[in-house]
Amino acid sequence: MSALTLYQLVAVLLLAVGIFGLIWRRTLVGMLICVELLLNGAGLSLVAAAQLTPASAVLGQLGTLLIMGLAAAEATLVLAIVVVVMRRFKTSESEAVSELKG
Amino acid sequence: MVMDILAKLAFCFYVAVVACGGILAVAAKNLVRALLGLILTLFGVAGMYLLMAAPLVALMQILIYVGAVSVLIFIAIMLVRTGPEGDESKPRSFRDMLYAVLGLLAPAVILGGALIKRPVASSPTPIEVTAADLGKGLLGPYTLAFELISVVLLVAMAGAVLIAFERRGGR
Repeated sequence: MSALTLYQLVAVLLLAVGIFGLIWRRTLVGMLICVELLLNGAGLSLVAAAQLTPASAVLGQLGTLLIMGLAAAEATLVLAIVVVVMRRFKTSESEAVSELKG
Repeated sequence: MVMDILAKLAFCFYVAVVACGGILAVAAKNLVRALLGLILTLFGVAGMYLLMAAPLVALMQILIYVGAVSVLIFIAIMLVRTGPEGDESKPRSFRDMLYAVLGLLAPAVILGGALIKRPVASSPTPIEVTAADLGKGLLGPYTLAFELISVVLLVAMAGAVLIAFERRGGR
């Protein structure tokens, strides 16, 4: 198996574990941890594809850096949402937050 | 030859680190342990970036993810104050387990099968890109993306403050 395939398989592992956790977890913070796993898998796949094929390596590495920036922005917003949900529902279970009109 | 074997050994080690961290992050009942699993996975992926001759990305992974994002998640855990007997340790219904396993298997079977069936030719050694090249890329052809990500970060920070800000007298 080529090196690229091995790295991509690790990325698929991260994707699968992340999706499993996203469904498995009950609290919003647990789901946030799983989303970070998913984003890491995306970054790993992108860098592997850029570094081990003739494609532009600069583009791949910069893309991964942008993914990291987006992950940081997303984590900030989820933290704010968790604060609001805790204040309004007194729990961080995702099942409890199912009504639209507060 | 020795370097080749060493690289394979390092890859296996990082795969083990990523897998253990991933399992801990998903299955741990205590959220702090799950966060530790996530950090382990992040270090494993950073090691893989180093193996692929992308040291700047590895450094950024440790700086941004391990340094900033995990601190944010830790603050979130602190805010929700779930102990080991919290919401995560309640038993799951059979339907939840079925959906979770289906969600695990779908990408693993489809994408993994496609990867193994139709392998893409890869170059034996990774391409070396210096930090100067990356900087030229950021200030040259990809300036717009660079500027946009800074705007996205600014808007996210401002939005987070706006959402979490407690109005006096309530709403």
